[in-house]
Amino acid sequence: MAKKEISNTTNKDGKKMRVKDLIFAGAFAAIYVVVMLLIVMVCGTIPVLYLITPLFVGIVCATIYELCVLKVHKFGAALILGILFAVTASSGYLPGMFMAIGVAVLAEVVLLIGKYKSKKLFLISYLVFNLNMVCPFSNLYLNRDSFMAMATDYYGESYANGVAALATSWMPFAQMGLAVAGAGIGVLIASKLIKKHFEKAGIV
Amino acid sequence: MDLTFYGEDIKGLIKVDPRTKVLIFITSSLVCVSSYSDIGIAMYSVLLCILFALCGKPLTALKAAIALGVVLFIRAVLGSSEGAPEVVVMVITLITTSFMFAFPTLMSIYLIVKTTRISHFLSAFQAMHIPVKAVVPVAVFFRFLPTVTDEWNGIRKAMAFRGISLSPVQIITHPWRTIEYVLIPMLFSTMSVMEELAAATMARGMDIEVKRTSYEEVKIRLIDYLLIVLFISLFAFAAVIAQKIKAGGI
Repeated sequence: MAKKEISNTTNKDGKKMRVKDLIFAGAFAAIYVVVMLLIVMVCGTIPVLYLITPLFVGIVCATIYELCVLKVHKFGAALILGILFAVTASSGYLPGMFMAIGVAVLAEVVLLIGKYKSKKLFLISYLVFNLNMVCPFSNLYLNRDSFMAMATDYYGESYANGVAALATSWMPFAQMGLAVAGAGIGVLIASKLIKKHFEKAGIV
Repeated sequence: MDLTFYGEDIKGLIKVDPRTKVLIFITSSLVCVSSYSDIGIAMYSVLLCILFALCGKPLTALKAAIALGVVLFIRAVLGSSEGAPEVVVMVITLITTSFMFAFPTLMSIYLIVKTTRISHFLSAFQAMHIPVKAVVPVAVFFRFLPTVTDEWNGIRKAMAFRGISLSPVQIITHPWRTIEYVLIPMLFSTMSVMEELAAATMARGMDIEVKRTSYEEVKIRLIDYLLIVLFISLFAFAAVIAQKIKAGGI
């Protein structure tokens, strides 16, 4: 019973972020980052899979993101998630980090347009949000030589050559497309899962 | 499950300010991505282990140091091995590389989580006039990283108990099912932890917007300055000098 009361107040009391909402955002960010890193680590072993990780991350992590924004229902949830993501995922390359934060702001704007009520815009905002998965790769496109040096050193010649052969000039756009496509699939799964499990349990 | 918020450093020989630890975390993640050399990362990691031990967790530090030593040894042997099959060399390189890459970051996260009390953490950042709204998500973020891994282990055991395997074959043949079976219990159980945490912070009056006082004494001491200088210079060494040595072909 106590649980239900807490989750009800989360949705109702005003527009301002309370400490409770901050806790939710921070905790969901932790789950998001762990799952994302897990996927990147598994996919990172093969060059082709490494470059299409935005797709997989979109598919799997959509549920976590949707649950976070649906649970908090206020300005700031996507932003906090995005900033924590940016700091952990692309801290090695500053322009990439700022791009990721910019993407999070955009996602928040999409939510703002829907006034945190429109279900469709909740889903669409993830399509924008998942573009931040491309940002860690910006190092590869904008700063190619140093990235290659690092890849060669860490993973060996053949791996670096594999990545180099795949990272052509259209690759960033392909990755953005993959990110959006993955997010699209993910969002479909997320809305189904949320309906099946979380709405029934009265959590969202 | 260990539900205590953060660890403590009562047994520690030195007391390090949480801000210094966060700075160490930042330099650690920078070391990972900017240093291409084993020497740099290894030196940095050894220093982290020593700091960990001094903060009151000598056993964990020793375990980590031994693991690091083993991996370094394997990498050293690997470089001089001729005639070994290429696939084996590549797989071992990948595994050891991921270890080396992740070690400093993970150790520094562990340092924050295991040796800092949350009240200490919060009051230290409040002393810097950073608003609570910025500190709380970060504190919760660090606190939840180990929780997520805990929950993951629990889910894996529960699934094995029910006879659902998590082998790569199963994941490839039933991707949707895997996502549902892993993600949903994880979200449910972490969410109940979040609710408890929220209730606890409510009870401590974190929602009230007044300046909070604390029993914790917050002060950057000499040891903090020493550590800051030490870690930043070691980071610079790892990133710049080690790279030059490498370019010189030594």
